[in-house]
Amino acid sequence: MYKTDVRGRLIDGDKSLSQISQEILAPIDAKTPRWWYVAMGISLLMLAWGARSIYITLTQGIGAWGENSTVAWGYEIINFVWWIGIGHAGTAFSIFLLILRQKWRTAINRAAEAMTVVAVFCAALFPLMHMGRSWLFFFIFPYPNTRGPLWVNFNSPLFWDFMAISAYLLISASFWYFGMVPDFATIRDTTKSKVKKAVYGFFAFGWTGSSREWLRYEGLAFVLGGIAAVLVVSVHSIVSTDFAVSIEPGWHTTLFPPYFVVGAIFSGFAMVLTLVTLMKKLYNMGDFITENHVDAVCRILVFISLIMGTAYVTEIFIAWYSGSEYEMYTFFKNRITGDYAIQFWGMFIFNALLPQLFWSKKIRRNLWIVFIISLFINLGMWFERFNIVVTSLSKNYLPSAWAPYHPSLVEIGFFVGTLGMFGAGVLLFFRYIPQIAIAEVKMISKYNKQQSDHLKPGHHDYE
Amino acid sequence: MIMNKKYLVGVFDDEHTLVDAFEKALAKGVVIEEVYTPYPIHEILHGMKNKTNITTAAFLYGLFAVAMLIGGMYWAAVVDWPLLFGGKPFNTFPSFIVVTIVGTILTITILTLLTFSVRSKIYPGKTAVIIDIRATDDKFIIVLDQDKMGIKKPEVTQLFQTHGATEIYEQDANTN
Repeated sequence: MYKTDVRGRLIDGDKSLSQISQEILAPIDAKTPRWWYVAMGISLLMLAWGARSIYITLTQGIGAWGENSTVAWGYEIINFVWWIGIGHAGTAFSIFLLILRQKWRTAINRAAEAMTVVAVFCAALFPLMHMGRSWLFFFIFPYPNTRGPLWVNFNSPLFWDFMAISAYLLISASFWYFGMVPDFATIRDTTKSKVKKAVYGFFAFGWTGSSREWLRYEGLAFVLGGIAAVLVVSVHSIVSTDFAVSIEPGWHTTLFPPYFVVGAIFSGFAMVLTLVTLMKKLYNMGDFITENHVDAVCRILVFISLIMGTAYVTEIFIAWYSGSEYEMYTFFKNRITGDYAIQFWGMFIFNALLPQLFWSKKIRRNLWIVFIISLFINLGMWFERFNIVVTSLSKNYLPSAWAPYHPSLVEIGFFVGTLGMFGAGVLLFFRYIPQIAIAEVKMISKYNKQQSDHLKPGHHDYE
Repeated sequence: MIMNKKYLVGVFDDEHTLVDAFEKALAKGVVIEEVYTPYPIHEILHGMKNKTNITTAAFLYGLFAVAMLIGGMYWAAVVDWPLLFGGKPFNTFPSFIVVTIVGTILTITILTLLTFSVRSKIYPGKTAVIIDIRATDDKFIIVLDQDKMGIKKPEVTQLFQTHGATEIYEQDANTN
């Protein structure tokens, strides 16, 4: 049972159920604001640059990138891992907080899942382009073929990764979509526009809210939620094995799977924080995403940030403790000091130190500072991936093979393009999809009322 | 067919009065055709006595997927096209586990979604059969089939009224 007097109100203002529908659907019914067009224009310009970069990559090959035979994994793997990490928040919010019975997640999970789907799309583009002959990407599907049949290597983490990402994309997209079906029905039944009625009616799949539908719906949510919980841990563990099974100094550590999973949730939550502060300010969703919600995400970030700091220090300690001169060199001469020290310290300060400011309640309640810190965490997590990929590769066992890495303009354009794609996706989400799960918020709205006359003792605790 | 049905519809404003009226009606032996609500209410789902085996189905899909995946990988790696990696065995079973887990999750998801769609008759573009259009917004609706509600109409009407129904009306099944 959620105790409002102990934990604070989940929704501000005494709202009736129809008020909840109206206020959440307001951005869909309202005229598109001017800033939206401006933001969309910028995102599409960025996307156009990305499309041009992809075109150059496809026609000229990956020689158009700044990679060399020593640093063969540059921007592409950095950005891939960064986007996948951001894409972790959706399931983390939907599943982990569901299992932990955190009712405040209902105001945020829809946005987190939307962000996940777009981020995983962005991520998937990088390995696709890195294949070189991207049009032959279907070679990675394990199917009986006329090339032997030559099967994929079932022992390779790269193939595991392909499986993990495809499954993750499909499952998070369907989890997100089925959560929206009752809300689409609400739009269909409350809108006055004939076009909206037809379009949202199509996507509502004929939903009526009958007890039979809700029963199976709950069963489906239970099954998908239960199995997707595994994915929260498995996807990034598998991504980390891409690195950990190699014998590169700085990669070959057993710390990698938990370190990557925690890092992914960290960056995902930071991006969620960025988005919900925008929703609060731009769309007046402050009654649903209250100060308590932002506060809760900040407190989670403090906790995860401590784990990140511990992981960074552990890596350094083990490099020294192992006595391996290669490990020592990578960490002490090529990370903490050396050519890439800026990226290392950027990572350390933004991920391990800066979020510690969230210990202060004053800072957690200041939306501007929260927004800025969330952006810095996203930057810090990008530095982390740069740090892992480039420092280990650029100077490995054979000094004659050492080479620096500088991204080419094509690579930068590709990355900017995915940022534009993410921006455009999120803007479309803001404009055309209920930003908050209406049915779920209605379900928790009863906790705001006087509980004695609203819920009889002995009744079930919902969810 | 449902074309000839005549419904008696009780409209409630909140979950508490709905559950109260629903439980009192069940206690009196009223046969309830269907309940429409803006969000799932567990008392209603239990009281309607509908059963779903979707979780069992998902479990069976999982068993099927595990067998197919391990069997398929064994067949590909050992029987169909064995490759020698520095003297390692063809059957590298423990490293098949990762693909098995992820592939199983993927299979369960796809098949359970299909099952849900088929069993609940929820699919893209379906025209919704709506009794009361407010049920997806803010009203809680109990629908009775007038021919087989197991109790006389005035009694039901009185029962609903005393337990907080804000509206009671009759409706033909074929009108929206």
